[in-house]
Amino acid sequence: MRRTEKIRMPGGHQEPEVRRRRSQKRRAFQTSRYSLWIASLMFLFSLAAPADGPDISVQVDITKAGPRKIEAQTEGRILADYRMAWTDLAQALNANEAGGFAGLFVGNAKQWLEQTVTSQRRSGVSTRYSNQSHKLQAVFYAPEGDLIELHDLAEYDAQVLAGGKVIHQDHGVHRYVVLMTPGADRWVIRELTEVREF
Amino acid sequence: MLALALACPTAAQEVTVPRSAVAGTDVTLSTTGSGKADFYLVGPGVASKSKVSLGEEIRVPGDQLRYAGKYLAIACSATCNSGEFFVTAAQPASLAFLVHPSRVPARQPDAVSGVVLLFDKFDNLVVASETINFQVKGANETLFSRAISTHDGEAWFRTSSGKTAGAVRLMAAVGDLSAQRALQQVASEPCHLRIKAQPTAKGIEVETEPVRDCAGNPISDGTIVTFTGTDPEGKISIDAPIKGDVARAHMKDAEPVVISAACGVAMSNELRIDLKR
Repeated sequence: MRRTEKIRMPGGHQEPEVRRRRSQKRRAFQTSRYSLWIASLMFLFSLAAPADGPDISVQVDITKAGPRKIEAQTEGRILADYRMAWTDLAQALNANEAGGFAGLFVGNAKQWLEQTVTSQRRSGVSTRYSNQSHKLQAVFYAPEGDLIELHDLAEYDAQVLAGGKVIHQDHGVHRYVVLMTPGADRWVIRELTEVREF
Repeated sequence: MLALALACPTAAQEVTVPRSAVAGTDVTLSTTGSGKADFYLVGPGVASKSKVSLGEEIRVPGDQLRYAGKYLAIACSATCNSGEFFVTAAQPASLAFLVHPSRVPARQPDAVSGVVLLFDKFDNLVVASETINFQVKGANETLFSRAISTHDGEAWFRTSSGKTAGAVRLMAAVGDLSAQRALQQVASEPCHLRIKAQPTAKGIEVETEPVRDCAGNPISDGTIVTFTGTDPEGKISIDAPIKGDVARAHMKDAEPVVISAACGVAMSNELRIDLKR
């Protein structure tokens, strides 16, 4: 309909003008289509990559949790918050800055983290965690949903530095018993204790 | 005792650490070699540095080992060697007892639950197994009594509510430690709702007999009873709260009327009243 109207428009130079416009439109359409593809790809990559820190992978297994069933949304939240907590922990112990816990640690866990940072700063020590992989197993989810206990089979590279010099490094498997409780808008870690075995 | 020599192929000194320790207690480490070295203790809540003489024992005070977890003992002279040991929680010193709900209707299956978490005096979760004695007592009955072992510091139970309305005490005990909570057991759904009516000069006074649940517990004040009057012109409904076990309503109606009431799942008897007779 529109095309017919344009061809019938008066004036000898209208037809090439229409063609130019059409060609510009086509180019604009193709460009916007490529942009859309690129944006989609970027979005997909952003979903596939870990949201918080490039080298922290977290998996959670909820099949053994009970007595309450863990909903998919809760599982996703716990996973995201736990990953974020380890990102914060690694940054805090590397940079010796206690302010970056973003409210993800409370109670005993927050207390020992803050004390570690203070103590590290005083003695010129820092700790680096890299290539973190955490396999979480939910072992208890309270009947009213106000507490979850997890086992974390973590694997990472750890370096202890004093005055910028590495004084200890290892790569190994670590076992943590974790207590998390729901906060206002996130799950927070109350206890994070490394144990020899579960 | 466990000796570990890490990070240095030609170790001049070794750090020998205990296999495990208890939170808050002193630990003695030993070293081999000679000369001075920097000693680092790195673990939860601590990253201390001190000068030590190799070949001598190193005493780590308990206040540096307050938190359960893994600790690294690192001795550095020309090179660094380290040993690691685990600190476990001390004896249980407190228990967190979470109870739900705070009010529960009588005779509800699996309606009451409790979770206990055990902590030592440094607030470390006591992951070693302990036996918790749970008791749930109503006014005239023991609703639940069982010893349950903790797993990774937690133990839990779930039980049904009792028959009688009133306070319920929940207790959890381990050794000398105990915690007590209370919840209120209230009447369940109303049962056998019956109404009676009395014509007055201004209409009809209608009231329920005392409203109770099937176990005879009086229904809480404030629970709404809906009275419905039907006459040839239509229906009228009045919501009235229970006060002192009874709900009352006044209907201004001169026509023959059928009155009934409902509360929760209970329906009352029907009354037929003809004021013109």
